Amino acid sequence: MKITTRSHFDKIFTAVTWLTVLVIITLLIMILGPILSKGTSAVIFRDTVEFRKMQITLFRRGNEMKLSAEKKQTAAVRQKIYDTIDDFKKGIDTQSLTEQVRTIYRRCGQELRRKDLTPQQYTDIRSTLKDIRDRLEIAFASKDKAEIAECVTYVMKFSGDENFKGTSAEDFFVIAADFQKAAKKTDLTKQHLYAESVGQIEDLLTLLLGPRPGAALPATAMNQFGATRWDLAQSILDKILWKEQWVSQGDGLPLVKTRTQRAEEFAGTEIEPLFGYIKDNLKTMMKPKLRFYWQYLIDDSTPGHYFGGIGPEIIGTLLLTLLSMLFVIPLGIISAAYLTEFASDNFIIKIIRVCINSLAGVPSIIFGLFGLAFFVLFLLPAFGAASKPCIFTASLTLSILALPVMIRASEEAIKTVPSTYKEASLALGAGKFRTFISVTLPAAMPGILTGVILSLSRVAGETAPILFTGAIALGPVPSSIFQSTRTLSYGSYDMAVGDRLAMMVPHNQYGMVATLIILVLCLNAIAIVLRTRLFKKLHGH
Amino acid sequence: MKKLIVCGLMMLALVSTGKVTAADKALQIEGSTTVGPIADAFTESFNKTYPDIKITVTKNGSGNGAAALIDKRCDIAMMSRFMKLEEFTSAVDKGVMPVAHTIAMDGICVIVHPSNPVTELSVQQIHDIYIGKIKNWKELGGPNMPVVVVSRDTSSGTYETFDHFVMKKVKMDESVEYVSSNPQVHSRVKTTLGAIGYVGIGFLDAEVKGLKVNGIMPSKETVANGTYPLSRPLFLFTNGYPELGSLSYTFCTFYLSEKGQEIIEAKGFVPVTHY
Repeated sequence: MKITTRSHFDKIFTAVTWLTVLVIITLLIMILGPILSKGTSAVIFRDTVEFRKMQITLFRRGNEMKLSAEKKQTAAVRQKIYDTIDDFKKGIDTQSLTEQVRTIYRRCGQELRRKDLTPQQYTDIRSTLKDIRDRLEIAFASKDKAEIAECVTYVMKFSGDENFKGTSAEDFFVIAADFQKAAKKTDLTKQHLYAESVGQIEDLLTLLLGPRPGAALPATAMNQFGATRWDLAQSILDKILWKEQWVSQGDGLPLVKTRTQRAEEFAGTEIEPLFGYIKDNLKTMMKPKLRFYWQYLIDDSTPGHYFGGIGPEIIGTLLLTLLSMLFVIPLGIISAAYLTEFASDNFIIKIIRVCINSLAGVPSIIFGLFGLAFFVLFLLPAFGAASKPCIFTASLTLSILALPVMIRASEEAIKTVPSTYKEASLALGAGKFRTFISVTLPAAMPGILTGVILSLSRVAGETAPILFTGAIALGPVPSSIFQSTRTLSYGSYDMAVGDRLAMMVPHNQYGMVATLIILVLCLNAIAIVLRTRLFKKLHGH
Repeated sequence: MKKLIVCGLMMLALVSTGKVTAADKALQIEGSTTVGPIADAFTESFNKTYPDIKITVTKNGSGNGAAALIDKRCDIAMMSRFMKLEEFTSAVDKGVMPVAHTIAMDGICVIVHPSNPVTELSVQQIHDIYIGKIKNWKELGGPNMPVVVVSRDTSSGTYETFDHFVMKKVKMDESVEYVSSNPQVHSRVKTTLGAIGYVGIGFLDAEVKGLKVNGIMPSKETVANGTYPLSRPLFLFTNGYPELGSLSYTFCTFYLSEKGQEIIEAKGFVPVTHY
């Protein structure tokens, strides 16, 4: 080959390697970038006053004095929204008005029976009440303003009646007056549309501001607070201001999404200015603040991870990883030592090697099922313990999974130790064991630590093997290794498959995944630092 | 290295000295990922009322829940389907007597992209779509758009219910895409114009469109009264009827309380009783 062609080939080779490096870097950025950046949003974000309320109620964290001042400020602004909607609803929510009127009528009937009246008086008053009720119902059902006015005037005639003083019947007149006032302002033909849209707005307001003051507290924490994050609050505001609809373009054509302003829909009503009001006062109502929520890493969460942190998950992952490393490292080194130093290279050893290598390729769920069958269902009862999945069985299962990697890496490391080292030691009269412990093992340590790093990363992130042997979706923080635990990997899996939660709180899922990645990196960093130190020591620097 | 091992051993010693919890104050729940969120939320409410009890929830599928109950590895098994005959037989063989508690209903909603003008399908039409007989929305009065068929994977309880009600044991077409969870079906349908899929009623929102099946809209009412054709009950299974007043008993009957029913609704399922 000519010199020039050779140099061309060299250049091409260099270019290709550079290209590969670039591809790898882009891939890393593409994969890790979004995970880490979205994961950071679990810790650094703009919170709202609802978040601070949640922190105090659920985690006893925060300044109660400051919060109550903030609550007061926000409550005043919020109350105006509720009042406007309530006023408006008096004119449109005819169904509930009808029901109210009926309840009042029934109550009045009972009150009458308790009064000291002649039968004639009783019948008279009763029939008047019934008359009032029927008139009001007609008014509620009517779309004609004149008819409503007529009915209400008829009802109001009785407002001064001595017979009704101090009875529930007085409520009739309040409702009637309110309704007439509201009916004058609203377009009665749109009543039905209004009612539906107001219902939607009320639901959205509950999402934004939490349950109304004075309303019964919902059973689950996720419904007890409004939007805890500023970005969420803004997206809900958008839904309040704009109504999305899918409109037909004609037969056989897909529908198109249209956005109409809700304010337009309510044009001319007393609710119309409300939209501008909510938009202008969103900041006053929510009080956004930039927050560094580092407690995410130590807090427990509400069941299902809607609120709170991932403390127990981190503890569980660390426990499982370190405990399984305790099993893996000695076992791995001893097996590798046997395979390289002591076993003769016969047929059986070859088979063992092949088995170890193929074990490395077995799917992790198989290890999980094996762990369940062997450790949980056989080993624990054999030692008289209850056959319940726990940290102990989970870490044993994980260590079997990591063992082949560990053995292979240690074997290679031990093989690379120059035979002159060993020969020198043996020549000085040291035995095989002594030589291995004091010469070969220290020299092979950096390579063995590489094996530790590889198996550590594998163990920390595995989900399938611990699914049946010790991981749980929900439970207390373990106080012994004979209890099951939550872990980061299983937690993010659980969020992804079971509930709508991953859709509702994506930052929590990303936070968990990002923490797992960072945790593995940290554990690796420790091993790498150890390796460098050992390496330096060995080479006498 | 030595230090590392010593540290590890110390930690091991530290954690293993902890007490093992009293059996009567602990409850182990295992099984369906669909029922899981209900158990999560029940636990949340329970922890408030009884702060010193310990409930663990593992979500690994209905089949594993049944297996764990049979092996006596859990106190309560969550299941999104009824126990199969084989499971019953092996339970009875091991001296376990499974008792079902129906805690909620779930409707399986057929969903399409919101831009799809089709609003109604019959069970037969859905069947035809999933066996590949209908390949274009044009045939159903929709736009000229190929149907992208999405299904849950065959191990899920939702798949089994769909298979039972719609497929009637006929194999799905080879073009059907299988995904492994409800959120995945939701996001696939949300982003694909011609897609059709099925999810639990809790996943129905403004981003996807639920179809009427045989003319009946999937809603809390139609699922609760059983008129919606693709509804199924969700169960908790215990070994025998739980001892009255025990923790298991309280947990398994919690759905009857107003709070329990509110939780079931909040989690997107349908309560079995009117309150």
